[in-house]
Amino acid sequence: MKPTPHEKKQWFDFLPGAISKDGFLGNDRRQIHDIVQDDERHLEYLGLNREAIADRLQYFIESGKKGLEKNVDLGDYTVQVRWSRGMQPCPFGERGLHHKLVAYVKHKSSGRELRFTQLNVHMIREHGFFEGSGSTFRMEPEILQVFMT
Amino acid sequence: MENLSPWVLFFAAIFTGNILLTYFLGMCSFLSVSRQVKTALGLGLAVTFVLTITAAVNHIIYFHVLVPLGIEYLRYIVFIGVIAATVQFLEMFIERYSEVLYINLGIFLPLITVNCAILGVSLFMVIRQYTFIQSVVFGAGSGLGWLLAILAMAGIQERLNEKKIPPPLRGPGIALIITGIMAMAFIGFSGMVQIQ
Amino acid sequence: MIHQIILTVAAVTAINVVLAVLLVIAERYLADFGECTLTVNDQKKLDVKGGSTLLATLSREKIFLPSACGGRGTCAYCKCRIQSGAGPLLPTEIPLLSSEEIENQVRLACQVKVKQDMAITIPEELFAIQEFRASVKEIRRLTHDIKLLRLSLLDPGEISFKSGQYIQLKSQPYADIRERVSRAYSISSPNHVKNAIDLIVRLVPEGICTTWVHEYLREGETVSFVGPMGDFFLRDGRGEIIMVAGGSGMAPMVSILHEMIHTNNERKVTYFFGAVTRRDLFYLDEMNAFRQKLPNFKFIPALSEPLPEDSWDGETGLITEILGKYLKGKDTSDMQGYLCGSPGMIQASIQVMKEHHIEGDRIFFDPFA
Repeated sequence: MKPTPHEKKQWFDFLPGAISKDGFLGNDRRQIHDIVQDDERHLEYLGLNREAIADRLQYFIESGKKGLEKNVDLGDYTVQVRWSRGMQPCPFGERGLHHKLVAYVKHKSSGRELRFTQLNVHMIREHGFFEGSGSTFRMEPEILQVFMT
Repeated sequence: MENLSPWVLFFAAIFTGNILLTYFLGMCSFLSVSRQVKTALGLGLAVTFVLTITAAVNHIIYFHVLVPLGIEYLRYIVFIGVIAATVQFLEMFIERYSEVLYINLGIFLPLITVNCAILGVSLFMVIRQYTFIQSVVFGAGSGLGWLLAILAMAGIQERLNEKKIPPPLRGPGIALIITGIMAMAFIGFSGMVQIQ
Repeated sequence: MIHQIILTVAAVTAINVVLAVLLVIAERYLADFGECTLTVNDQKKLDVKGGSTLLATLSREKIFLPSACGGRGTCAYCKCRIQSGAGPLLPTEIPLLSSEEIENQVRLACQVKVKQDMAITIPEELFAIQEFRASVKEIRRLTHDIKLLRLSLLDPGEISFKSGQYIQLKSQPYADIRERVSRAYSISSPNHVKNAIDLIVRLVPEGICTTWVHEYLREGETVSFVGPMGDFFLRDGRGEIIMVAGGSGMAPMVSILHEMIHTNNERKVTYFFGAVTRRDLFYLDEMNAFRQKLPNFKFIPALSEPLPEDSWDGETGLITEILGKYLKGKDTSDMQGYLCGSPGMIQASIQVMKEHHIEGDRIFFDPFA
């Protein structure tokens, strides 16, 4: 579907160097609203809900914060949070700044690792955006499923 | 249509042959921008401006360029070109002199280009073989008729309290019902002037 | 047939060319706002070219309003009072201004366009902020993810700043990044050295500016930065100074310690440096040198997860735990807290300080952007 003029302007903020170094699209050539819709359908198919995912990820972030950059043991998982100075705007353009926080979560038994930012959690919760395929912080719904319990 | 008085035509274009409520052209932006009276007024005036200018310019191009050269079949392409250019100019003008309106109209300003009422008025002018004065008057009248319809719709929607409408009908549902009722009301004008 | 085709193409082309020319002329005329006069704080009068946002226009005139979102209208840092010439309130400003601010004619400089003469009011401190060009004198590895960036000032050749303040470094395009961004780094060199500054830059995961500094910037290149800024500096007092700063947060502390040596300040200073493993420690020699020159200075590094091969026999645990242990039972009524580094560490340390009765008005840190 064609982008509106507003979406066209917005798109530049998703590119490398505007807000984050690698941008939010990876090598995905789809329009942003198409990425969101495709992921929405995928989530429905997997029986996942974006609010629940955002809550779960925020739980990891809050637990990780307590460790002040060292690994925090949460039983089935370990989480490490790097919180840097500065704030980021959301590429979707609405008001509000987000902390520069990166969380590294490891699922002990499967060895699966998940890496995401505070901005990711906001974009999932408010926009249903999991980043484009091939992007550095792309959150595949299947992988997220592992971390939900 | 040599014998049709411009005043009669003007009146007819607004009431009895209202481009939106009688011919159902120009519905899309009508339905989307009719929530606030201020924005509706802005869009209505913009549409009137575009209609008047394009009706006039298209008349000149059609009757004094296309017809003499025998290339009337180009009217669709050429009319759209003129409409697009007029809307571009209007965008620049509004952005300069009323940034608030520009932001509030958002995407609906460039969407005027593909509003079927605009092309419709130019094509009607061709079919009905209007003179230059008649075309200008027809364009302005149609614009004012569209403006009247969108203002009435905005006024009604502003007054309408969402809570009183059954959930399935909220938004487009009730908007279309209101449009239908308004159209029926305008049929009541039809006896006044006969032009078609 | 051919005749028809040529005629058709010629007619459509001619009509479209005429329309295009008319539009170009219209744009020239409509987009030209001419010269406008900006009156700042009822004193300075600036003649500027109209058409850009107030933020961009002031920046061209070397007046730098703070901005965290690069003019996108999301951070509201660029608020300023516009007494006249601002035009009607824009829908993009309304969500970020309180009704009190709107009443006081406060607007967002990044949204308001300069289309006519304007009168504005901005804080006086902003006039002290300048744009500098500097050459990269040295890039030195301090740890696996921290580098020292030494800049030699070119134009202007000197900078005056308070120890603890920071500058906004402008990154340059690299790899497939075409934009420039501005990022804040505290100055770590002594403030009596005016022709060069030191910055301590820690690599941020997917950071635009830090990646540029760590992987692309070379000695000898020219960079530009804006400053000095910030409310973080040494306050007067006689009580003990408690510093808590890890990673690149050490930068302003080093600058402050240099100043204390230079001014023979004999206040007691205890500096808590939190890290995870031994490889995160740096400037240990410098800290030793400070200890020699400042009789009342103590440096307490703490590792939260030392590796066995670190052979660490210093403090172990979260820096907040070590801090709490130290403050427990002491008379903190005169103490001042100075914090810099990760926002999480700052938040947690403030908590600990307050628990030990060091009130908020005696705790200092840069809450930025």
